[in-house]
Amino acid sequence: MKNSGVFRSRGVSWLMHKLCFTLGSMLVTASAFGGNKAFDDGDYTVKATLSSPMNTIAGLTEWAQSINHVYGITSIVLVLVFFAVSIPLIYAIYKFRVSEDEDLINKKPPKQVHGNVVLEFAWTIVPVILLLFIAIPTWEGIFSRPVKPPEGALKIKVIGHQWWWEFQYPELGITTANEVHLPENTPVFFELSSADVIHSFWIPQFGGKKDVLPGADAVNQMFFTTPKLANPEKAGGEYYQGQCVELCGLSHALMRFEAVLHSKQEFDSWAKVHNQPPVIASELEKKGELLFAQCQVCHTISGTPSEDLEKQMLAMDPPAPKQGPNLTSFGDRRTLGAGTRKNTYENFAKWVREPQSIKQGATMTAFNLSDDDMQAIAAYLRFSTAKNY
Amino acid sequence: MAKNLPSTGIVSWLTTVDHKRIGILYGVTALFFLLFGGAEAIFMRTQLALPNNTFLDAGTYNGLVTLHGTTMIFLFVMPLSAAFFNYLTPLMIGAPDVAFPRMNALSYWIFLFGGLLLNFSFVVGLLPDGGWFNYANLTGPKYSPSHAIDFWVLGVQVVGLASLIAAINFFVTIMNMRCKGMTLLKMPIFIWTTLVTQVLLILALPVITVALMMMTFDRSFGTGFFDPGAGGQVIMWQHLFWIFGHPEVYILILPAMGIVSEILPTFSRKPLFGYSVMVYSSCAIGFLGFAVWAHHMFTTGLGPWAQALFSAATMLIAVPTGVKIFNWVSTLWGGHIRFTTPMLFALSFIAMFTLGGLSGIMHSSPPIDYQHQDTYFVVAHFHYVLYGGAVMALFGGIFYWFPKITGRYMDEGMGKLQFWMYMIGFNLTFFPMHFLGLQGMPRRIFTYASDQGWNLWNLVASAGAYITAAGGVLFFINIFYSLKWGKKAPHDCWDGRTLEWTLSSPPPEYNFAVDPEVKALDDWWLRKWDKDGKRLHPEVQPEIDPSTKHLPNPSFWPMILAFGILLLACGPFFNAKGIALSLVGVLVMLIATYGWSFEEA
Repeated sequence: MKNSGVFRSRGVSWLMHKLCFTLGSMLVTASAFGGNKAFDDGDYTVKATLSSPMNTIAGLTEWAQSINHVYGITSIVLVLVFFAVSIPLIYAIYKFRVSEDEDLINKKPPKQVHGNVVLEFAWTIVPVILLLFIAIPTWEGIFSRPVKPPEGALKIKVIGHQWWWEFQYPELGITTANEVHLPENTPVFFELSSADVIHSFWIPQFGGKKDVLPGADAVNQMFFTTPKLANPEKAGGEYYQGQCVELCGLSHALMRFEAVLHSKQEFDSWAKVHNQPPVIASELEKKGELLFAQCQVCHTISGTPSEDLEKQMLAMDPPAPKQGPNLTSFGDRRTLGAGTRKNTYENFAKWVREPQSIKQGATMTAFNLSDDDMQAIAAYLRFSTAKNY
Repeated sequence: MAKNLPSTGIVSWLTTVDHKRIGILYGVTALFFLLFGGAEAIFMRTQLALPNNTFLDAGTYNGLVTLHGTTMIFLFVMPLSAAFFNYLTPLMIGAPDVAFPRMNALSYWIFLFGGLLLNFSFVVGLLPDGGWFNYANLTGPKYSPSHAIDFWVLGVQVVGLASLIAAINFFVTIMNMRCKGMTLLKMPIFIWTTLVTQVLLILALPVITVALMMMTFDRSFGTGFFDPGAGGQVIMWQHLFWIFGHPEVYILILPAMGIVSEILPTFSRKPLFGYSVMVYSSCAIGFLGFAVWAHHMFTTGLGPWAQALFSAATMLIAVPTGVKIFNWVSTLWGGHIRFTTPMLFALSFIAMFTLGGLSGIMHSSPPIDYQHQDTYFVVAHFHYVLYGGAVMALFGGIFYWFPKITGRYMDEGMGKLQFWMYMIGFNLTFFPMHFLGLQGMPRRIFTYASDQGWNLWNLVASAGAYITAAGGVLFFINIFYSLKWGKKAPHDCWDGRTLEWTLSSPPPEYNFAVDPEVKALDDWWLRKWDKDGKRLHPEVQPEIDPSTKHLPNPSFWPMILAFGILLLACGPFFNAKGIALSLVGVLVMLIATYGWSFEEA
C-alpha cells in the first residue's frame, strides 16, 4: 500500500476563487508559523492559498459540480446586486457630504423628499426577478437529486461514533474504520446512522454534507457517482479528505476520515483480500498476536478469535457491539485516531500509551506496555494486517 | 415601605421603576457582558491563530464557543436593544413612563440574574459546551452528564422570561400610551421596529421556553423527548430551537434597523425615504421570519418539497430587506451628510449588512448550503449581519443618544478612531472567513492541521480581532472620559427630528412637563423649519417642580420576585433534592407578589 495519493484541484474559474487567489498571493504566506503539534500533517498537495483538501468549490463528482454551478450563478447575480447598492451608496456619501464645521443650524435644509412610488416599486420588483435567477437553478438542484438509491449502487453503511467513523459494506461483508474505499466512476449509496450523537458526513470534493443522526427511524441517505481517477496509471488509490461538521462533543475537531478512490480492478482486489486473516511473518508479530487478546474486547480483526467474540457479543440480549474501530485492515491505513495522526510507530505507541494526549475524551484504554511489548503489538497491527492488492 | 425609599444612591438604583434608569441599567449590564463575550472571542481567535495550537484545550474551546454565542446574543445585543427600548420608547411617543413600570424593573432583574446564572458556570468551572444551539442529544444526560449544560438551559430560560415580560410591557406601552396626534403611521420608525420586535418576542419566546422545559425534564427528571433510545427525536429539538431561533435573528436586527433609520435622517437633514414602505417592510420581515426556520436544517435530511419551500420563503425575505437598503441610500441622496461618529456607524451598517445579506441569499439555496453549512462561510455571513450590522448600529445608537442620556457628548476624536479600528478589525477578521469557508474549514473546531491551507486566513482573522479589541478598550475609555469631561449637550444636541430632543439632556424624571401633541411624522423638525426653509425657534419642554407630577413609586419587590425566579431555576441543579430549593423560590415569588400587590404604586 503506497501513500501516494494527492488531492486534486481541478481548474476552477469562479469569480470568488480568482479573487481569493489574487488577494492570497498578494500577502506573504504565513504558513511558516508552526505552533505546537497536536497532530501530524498528512501529505496532501496544497498549491494555492485557497487550495485545501477540503475545498468546496473544486467539485469532482457530477453532484458537486452541479452545486458549484448554482453557486456560480448565484455569485454573479449577487456581485451585480452588490455593485447596484455600493456604487450609489459611495457616490451619495461622497457627493452630498458637508463639512462638519459648517453652520447647519441656520442653513436652509435640503429638499424634504418623503419617497418616490415609482422608485420604490422598482426596487421591490427587480429583486424578485433577480431572485428567480437564483431560485430556478436552486429548485432544479433540489429536484434533480435522486430520492432512491440508483440501480446497482455500491451500498456503504456509515456509522458515526464519538469521534471516529465506521464503514460497513454489507454486500461485501467488510467492516472498516476511518478510511472508506471506493471504486472510481461508480454509483455509491451511503446509509448514514449514528451510534451516539449527531454527526455530519462530508467529503467536500465529492459533494455536500448530510447529518448523521441517532435513532433507528432517522437514517439519512446520500448518493453520488464517484469521479474518475485523476491519474489512472498510479496504483494505491487517491485520497480525499472528509470531516465531521456537526459539533459532536469534546474532540469534534479530531473526527476526520479519508475516502480512497481506486480503479475498479484495484477495488475488487482490495475487497477480495480485505477480510483475509493477518499473516504472521516473524516472532515479534507472533508475540503481538498474543498480546492482541487484550484488545479484542473492543476491536475486531477478521479471521482471528476476535471475530468470533464479536459474533457472540452481538448475539447477546441486548446486543453488545464492540466499542472500538475494526482493525482488520489497520496495516493499510495512512492514519490513526480518525485521521489525526500518521500511522507511524511513534504515533502508534503514543496512541496506545496515552490516547488522551492525542484525542481528549477518547474511550480507548491506555495500556502502559513495555517497549518490547509495544514493538510486538505494533508489528502485528501495522504489518501482519497489511494486505497486498 | 415604598414612600420612604431614597431617590439617589445605590438603593435608588435597586428600587427604581423609572424607564430611563432601567434603560441605563440594561445598557451598563449589556456592556459588562460584552467584556465577557469579547474576551471569549479573543481567546478563541488566539487559539485558532496558528495550526495545531495548544493555547486552549478542546473542552475550554467548546465552552467558549458556546458562551461567546450565547452571551453576545442573549446578554449583549438583546439587552442593549432593550436599553434603547426602555430609554427611548416613552420619550419618543411622548409618554411619562412605560405601561407597567414595576414589571419593567422585574424584567431587568430577571435578565441580570439569568445572565449571572449562565456565567456562574465560570465560577464552578463547568462551561456549557453544546454550542449556542445546544443540539440534542449531545446535550442530554447521557452525553453531557455534568451540570455544565444546565447552566445554559436554565440561564437562557430565565433570560428569556425577562424578554417575554418586557415584550408585553412595550407592546402595551406603544399601543396605548402614544401622545395626542401620534397615530400609528406618525410614530418614529424606531418605535415601529421596536413594536415589530416585541411581537416577534411574544410569539417566538414561548417556543424556546417550552423546548427548554422539555430539555430540563430530559436532563433532570428522566423524560426522553429528545432521546432516541427512549423513543424521542433529536430533530424535534432542532425544529423547536429554530422556530424560535430564526425570528430571534430579526429580534436582533430590527431594533438596529430602527436606530439606523433614525440616525441617517438626522445627519442627512432629510426625512426617512419611503417611511410607510419601511414600516411595511419591517412587518413583512417579521412575518416571513416565522416561515423560514428550516433553512437552518437543509442538511438534516428534509424532503425536496420542504427544502424548496423553505428556500423560497427565505429568498423572499431579501425583497423587503432590499427595499430597506435602497431606501436608506435614497435618504442620503441629496442630503447634507455630516460625518459624525453615529453617522459613520450607521453608514457602515448599510455596507456591512448588505454584504451579510448577500451571503445569506447564498445559503437560502439548499444545494449551496449543502457545501456551506457548518463551515466558516456561515460564520462570516452571520457576523456581517449581526456584528457589522446589528452591533455597529447599536454603537451608532450609543454615540447618538449618549448626550441625551448623560448630558454630555461622547468624544468625537476617540469615537472616530474607534470606528475605524472596528471597521478595519472587523473586516480583517470576518472577510477572510468567507475564504476559509470555501476552503471547507468546519465551524466549532478547536484546532486544525497545518496542511489544510487554512493557516494564512486564520492568522489574518486573529490579527483583526486584536485590532477590534483595542477599539473596544478605546470605547470604554471614551465613555469614562466623556462622562466627566465631554462637551455639554443642549436639548436638541444633533438638530434632531423626534420628541426626545424637546427634552433637556438628561431629561427630567417626569419626562414631559407639558403633554406633547404631534401633527405629523418628524413633528419636532417641522416645528423648527417653516415651508420656505426659514429657521423657527419653537419652545422646548419647560422644567417644573417634580413633586407636582405623580410618578410611580420605587419598589424592592421586583428584585425580590426576580430572585425567587432565580431560586426556582436553580432547583434542577440539585436533581430531586432541588425541588425543595425550587419550592423556596416559589415561596419567595408568592411573598413578593403579595407585597407588590398591596404596595402603593
